[in-house]
Amino acid sequence: MTDIRVALPTDFDELVRMEKDIFADHAWSKTTFVADIEAVHTTYLVAFENNQLVGYAGLASPAGSFQADVNTIAVAENFRRKGLASELLKRLVELATKAGAEQMFLDVRADNHGAIDLYKKFGFEHIDTRKGYYRPEGIDALVMRKGIYQPLVLGIETSCDETGVGIVRGNRLLANALNSSMDIHARFGGVVPEVAARAHLEALQPTIETAISEAGIALEEIDAIAVTNGPGLAGALMVGIGAAKGLAQAINKPLYAVNHLVGHVGADILERGSLQTPSIALLVSGGHTSLLLVRDLLDDVELLGETIDDAAGEAFDKVARVLGLPYPGGPEIDKAAIGGNPQAIRFPRGLSLPKDMAEHKYDFSFSGLKTAVARYVEKAEDAGEEINASDVAASFREAVVDVLVTKALKACEEHGVPRLILGGGVTANARLREVATQRCSSAGIELRIPRFSLCTDNGAMIASLGAQLVMAGREPSGNRFGSESTMEVSKVQSL
Amino acid sequence: MILAIDTTAGTSAAVVSDGKILGFSGFEDPFGHAENIGRSIETALQQAAVDSESIRAVAISRGPASYTGLRVGMSAGVAFSTGRGIPLYGVVSLDAVASLHKPETDSDHWLVCSDAKRGELFVAVYSGFNDAGLPIRDGDPQVLKPAEVEEKYRGIKRIANPCDAKAVGIYAEKAIATGLDMSEVSALYLRSPDVTPSAGKRVSG
Repeated sequence: MTDIRVALPTDFDELVRMEKDIFADHAWSKTTFVADIEAVHTTYLVAFENNQLVGYAGLASPAGSFQADVNTIAVAENFRRKGLASELLKRLVELATKAGAEQMFLDVRADNHGAIDLYKKFGFEHIDTRKGYYRPEGIDALVMRKGIYQPLVLGIETSCDETGVGIVRGNRLLANALNSSMDIHARFGGVVPEVAARAHLEALQPTIETAISEAGIALEEIDAIAVTNGPGLAGALMVGIGAAKGLAQAINKPLYAVNHLVGHVGADILERGSLQTPSIALLVSGGHTSLLLVRDLLDDVELLGETIDDAAGEAFDKVARVLGLPYPGGPEIDKAAIGGNPQAIRFPRGLSLPKDMAEHKYDFSFSGLKTAVARYVEKAEDAGEEINASDVAASFREAVVDVLVTKALKACEEHGVPRLILGGGVTANARLREVATQRCSSAGIELRIPRFSLCTDNGAMIASLGAQLVMAGREPSGNRFGSESTMEVSKVQSL
Repeated sequence: MILAIDTTAGTSAAVVSDGKILGFSGFEDPFGHAENIGRSIETALQQAAVDSESIRAVAISRGPASYTGLRVGMSAGVAFSTGRGIPLYGVVSLDAVASLHKPETDSDHWLVCSDAKRGELFVAVYSGFNDAGLPIRDGDPQVLKPAEVEEKYRGIKRIANPCDAKAVGIYAEKAIATGLDMSEVSALYLRSPDVTPSAGKRVSG
């Protein structure tokens, strides 16, 4: 019974020994070999039989390259011709496919006919020859390539006030069409669910058509459809679900119902070509303020904390109103805060006192902050004093940003996670980006902020999450799912 | 061959051709529109033993009806027609009901009503059928309190049969044949969203 798994540091000594045994003078040095195994962009598999290392294989697939290279496949002398190399190659193809590679490359000695036949069986074609590459014998290296088909997925997002239709191929962004009803909501000072739902229905056809033309594809080419079915506004979600089900029937394609919040995390795949895990994700918008620990996008997303009252974006909207500024409040507060002193007024940092930390370590609360700002402004008004709106805006914003970044970095530290992904509309906030960049840099944490069109609600992130499910071979969601306004973040897909 | 979709009451889909219902699937559940819409369409197509490529047009019920459910069927119809690149037609659900149901009455006039929630009714008045057999509606559908209906339409008989995709499909097919304009595919809400800009309020006493 052969057991194949990802190589661990405890395997390194044996791997180096086996590399020497097999490749003799051509073997990589220990330093080079271990560095390659440990590199972020490589995956090494090891095969054991009766606790003895009998083979290994390495794949390199740098994020964003959409390519994968077979670095090596090695099988111990006594265990050859038993299909182990074939099994290892199969696993590498699976890994490359999952990593979003659209092409796979390898080099092989021109005199290694067994290997060449195996590669041909897997669909590799000889595309180039490197003359006399293997020294000292001067044997040619054949360069072989295999194309990998990545699924074309259309995603529909209607959970709040943005009608989004995106199209991806595997990990690659092809289109991200959006129609927002934000201007209509501005009159009411916040998103009105019925207004949003009406706008979705109106925007549906033009948004689908824009996405199709942006991607330069025909609808029939699509392999699967993904749709947000929660969390979000029920009436708004249902417009997207109706559309997705209608479209799926029209073009006879499988349908995936996915989680909006996990979609936000998946947006980074489209930015860098793959998602690195584990990662802490801080999602901040007008509807959500959630801190997630993402060990695996499809199988292990844990909610560490969320707001217990207002969302961060909502706090911006409400405070903007207190200051007599229009909706949406985020950009207005940003403008008002220019030249303001963020330390001028010490507004409260919600759920940050030691007594709160036991139960709400990673939760947020912004309603007390909003009230504190309102009280401050009213007190000044009652006393007939002029407030310094820039100081109030800057101090309020500092309080929000401080709590968000402090808790996110605490989560990184406590869970030993070296990266933080930001998502949601509040990432447009200049101060949040600035503070997150500074503090992540001093804490040695990698900060990922996808471009703004991928941070706000959008269809591309939903298409991307759908594509990940297809690439992982998951079953479609079928036809019976409905909307789930309060869907838990641990539920990536509804069946 | 057309695909008709209605979510004004329950959820239903029908495949209609030459005045015949080739396939129909309906769910009475007044809340499960999002859950049932895909199955309705799928089952209607299966029963008719056709695939989606055979459908030449889509007819959707525009209401008036309860908004959230109404939009599910409409969005499915919009997406189906967009997906196949075929025409989309909008049918006033009360018209579809009137085309199939007329109360026993000596008068030429009758009313079709449906529940508009909040103690009100969606109402349309009809006065006979045209040559193609389509009901002639007098004016636009309205939303009225029962007392207002009594007062305005005293003595006129009324029906309140629910709409479904069969009625929509039969109506649409006849209407297409007579060249009736059904290009309006927006939802008939008859009410503005229930919201007004609010004035700010003080937090300190």
